[in-house]
Amino acid sequence: MDKEKFLKDLAEILEEESVQEGDVLTDFEVWDSLSILSIISYVSENYKKQLKNEEIRSQKTVGDLFSYIDNK
Amino acid sequence: MDLKFKNKKVSGILTILPKRVVTFEEEMVNYNFPEKKSLRLKKVMGYNTHRVAAEGQCSSDFCIAGLQYLFDNDLLDKDEIDAMLFVSQSPDYYMPPTSNLIQGHFGMKNDIICLDINQGCAGFEIGLVQAFMLLEQESVHKVVLMNADVLSPKVSIHDRNSKPLIGDAASITIIENGNNNEEILCSVNMDGTGALAINIPAGGFRTPASEETAVMHEDEAGNSRSLNNLVMQGDDVFNFVQREVPPMIDHLLERANMSVDDIDWFMFHQPNKFMLNKLADAIGVPYEKMPSNIVENFGNASGVTVPTTISYNLGERLEKESFKMCMAGFGVGLTWSSVLMKMGYLKFNKIIEF
Repeated sequence: MDKEKFLKDLAEILEEESVQEGDVLTDFEVWDSLSILSIISYVSENYKKQLKNEEIRSQKTVGDLFSYIDNK
Repeated sequence: MDLKFKNKKVSGILTILPKRVVTFEEEMVNYNFPEKKSLRLKKVMGYNTHRVAAEGQCSSDFCIAGLQYLFDNDLLDKDEIDAMLFVSQSPDYYMPPTSNLIQGHFGMKNDIICLDINQGCAGFEIGLVQAFMLLEQESVHKVVLMNADVLSPKVSIHDRNSKPLIGDAASITIIENGNNNEEILCSVNMDGTGALAINIPAGGFRTPASEETAVMHEDEAGNSRSLNNLVMQGDDVFNFVQREVPPMIDHLLERANMSVDDIDWFMFHQPNKFMLNKLADAIGVPYEKMPSNIVENFGNASGVTVPTTISYNLGERLEKESFKMCMAGFGVGLTWSSVLMKMGYLKFNKIIEF
């Protein structure tokens, strides 16, 4: 998985200029169930992996989310 | 499961919508979310207004109003009806069947088949398949398929997941024998291991409604509902649709030896604009061929959405023209089903209000 591309796409989903690996997911201003569904949809479309809500909710930071998806 | 029929046609579609219009904004105050976030949800999902039944209006009332309209306007002769199918998840009673109640209301002949079918989002396709099967019988010439749901009373006003999209409606579709030799291809699929992904936990025999089941609980996302309310696992449903529907459509087109270009319209169940656009992308269908404007105007009334999409987007055009149409429904059950057929020169295709 291309980390740079993932960070760029995640920033777009979360309506941020950019996101860093250390950023805490729940601190983003738009973070809610819609952001989670957008990530599920993005990962399904681009990486052909199916995620559940709780799998995303249990990740703390942007870096954790990237590693989790990358290893799934 | 692959199914195939010949010499059958749809000869009329009538959609019946409640008069009451409810906007996203007026319900937004009940959600436990900042306004800005809810407005973002509205934009992404394509929510705006939806039609909601008045208190006390049942699914059958909309069917009766629609049938009365067809009888009054000489669009249907009640003595010609050989079967009445009522596809719904909101019957009047546990017993008797609602289809019998409607037959009785109009004093239809006794030499008739009345059948209630418990299906939701794929209810139009499942109903069509059932109608086609009945028409294989010599004594069945005309089938009335009623898709009807009034589920809005079952959705919590504090549930931002389901409240903004739920709609109430009914449709009446007439299916009869035709003389064109063209094949109708259908696909029916079920996965009961995911049966509770869309569910009303209490109120049936397994968990009768009680004071306890009426207690409201907040989920991890911030929505509140009780066990008497409809609950939908959005992630599971999204994953299921993206996983199962595109291969089903690919296979259906392959059986017909056709490509997406050969199909005029993809009239699909309407969960929300977001999910429909993702589906169109996955199948490779241009958005113009797959209308996704029902939830924003009327809401999602489970099995009624496909006929509503046809009535709203084609209207009188379908009385004068004919199209190659691919219809699909997916959701509660879990059930996913599709029908590929030529549809056109209908006697009527319109929307009325009740």
